[in-house]
Amino acid sequence: MVADSRIAGTVRTAGRLNSPRPALVEATGAGVPRLVNRHSVAVVREEWRVVDRWWTEEPLVRRYFELVLDSGQNTVVFRDEERSCWFTQRA
Amino acid sequence: MGGDPEAARGRGHRGLPAEAGCAFFETRGVERLYGGVEPALKRALAAVGPTWDARIGAAERKFTALAAANVAQPGQLLVVADDRSREFLAPLPLDLLPLQAAQQQELKELGVRRLGELAGLPGGAVAERLGPDGRRAWSLARGGERRRVRGRRPPSELVERLEFPEAVGNELTLRRAFAVLLDQLLARPEREGRFARKVAIAARLVGGASWRRTVTLRDPTAERDRLRAALGPKLSEIPAPVLELRLELVELTDHTGEQLELLKVAGGELDGRLSEGLRQVRASTGSGSVNTVVEVAPWSRIPESRALFVPRDD
Repeated sequence: MVADSRIAGTVRTAGRLNSPRPALVEATGAGVPRLVNRHSVAVVREEWRVVDRWWTEEPLVRRYFELVLDSGQNTVVFRDEERSCWFTQRA
Repeated sequence: MGGDPEAARGRGHRGLPAEAGCAFFETRGVERLYGGVEPALKRALAAVGPTWDARIGAAERKFTALAAANVAQPGQLLVVADDRSREFLAPLPLDLLPLQAAQQQELKELGVRRLGELAGLPGGAVAERLGPDGRRAWSLARGGERRRVRGRRPPSELVERLEFPEAVGNELTLRRAFAVLLDQLLARPEREGRFARKVAIAARLVGGASWRRTVTLRDPTAERDRLRAALGPKLSEIPAPVLELRLELVELTDHTGEQLELLKVAGGELDGRLSEGLRQVRASTGSGSVNTVVEVAPWSRIPESRALFVPRDD
């Protein structure tokens, strides 16, 4: 697109809220987390999958777990199946 | 009608294309006002004044007008009738044409030194020898096309843009983004209390295309709801997902004013105190530190797609 010659307006770049953050997770053979950021998992409350953007060049395949850690903290982690790594996020 | 090309060269006239110091304008709209094209142009020449040694060329065709301006003396007006256009151009040199030096040299080596000589050649042969540039030059040597002069669109007075981290195709998301941009635009101190007379909404689309709609308001206003009602429905016309949304106050009134309310809106005082508090935070922490959370797709299964944070510098 031809560069705009108007008076320079303000450009605001919208940022993502609740972006995933890398997490250190040890999982069982079935892929269920047992350690998250060096805290043991006390309870696996829920598990679900998100498969989206499969029609694009960046498909999204995630396996989510809602967990309660031994410290009592409630956390959500997911494994990105495309990149084979774990993230934590508020779901 | 015409000029001595050698004398013109001695005066240092420059060839095409039109560059800084050259302007094209239509006289159709003002000829009747001043009693004809010549009186109108004499008026224009008088308005420019003697400082710039302005010269005016006029014709039905843009290239012929430019050639006439090159031939005219400082302070002179030269009008070329359309039926005399080729006769006028014939003795003029090739360097009036938008050709590279190598192409002009090639023509001179073939014995073509004047526009009339070039115009007399078959167009196909010129195109084959010199390519599209040669074909265009040949067309100009014969007078060029008769096209209307389109004025440059003046820049918008105030512009606010919002870039999305990924393309947005959902209309509700775009409406929310539009609301944020509208608030920020109305809060810009450069507006100085002036009212919007003409507004525009534009978008940069996936694939590199662009889209724009302009609305001229019957009554200039700075009321948020009226501006939203004028531009909001246009969002449904966007034909592709959006990468950047832009809102422009294209034209503002000269007069300023503050639209007072008869009765204060409930919570208005609280809003004022909140705005003042945010201004103080921004002053101490810098630009970009205060953001608005905008819910754009709360139904999304992807958590980071549900809301965006947009910097607020108002």
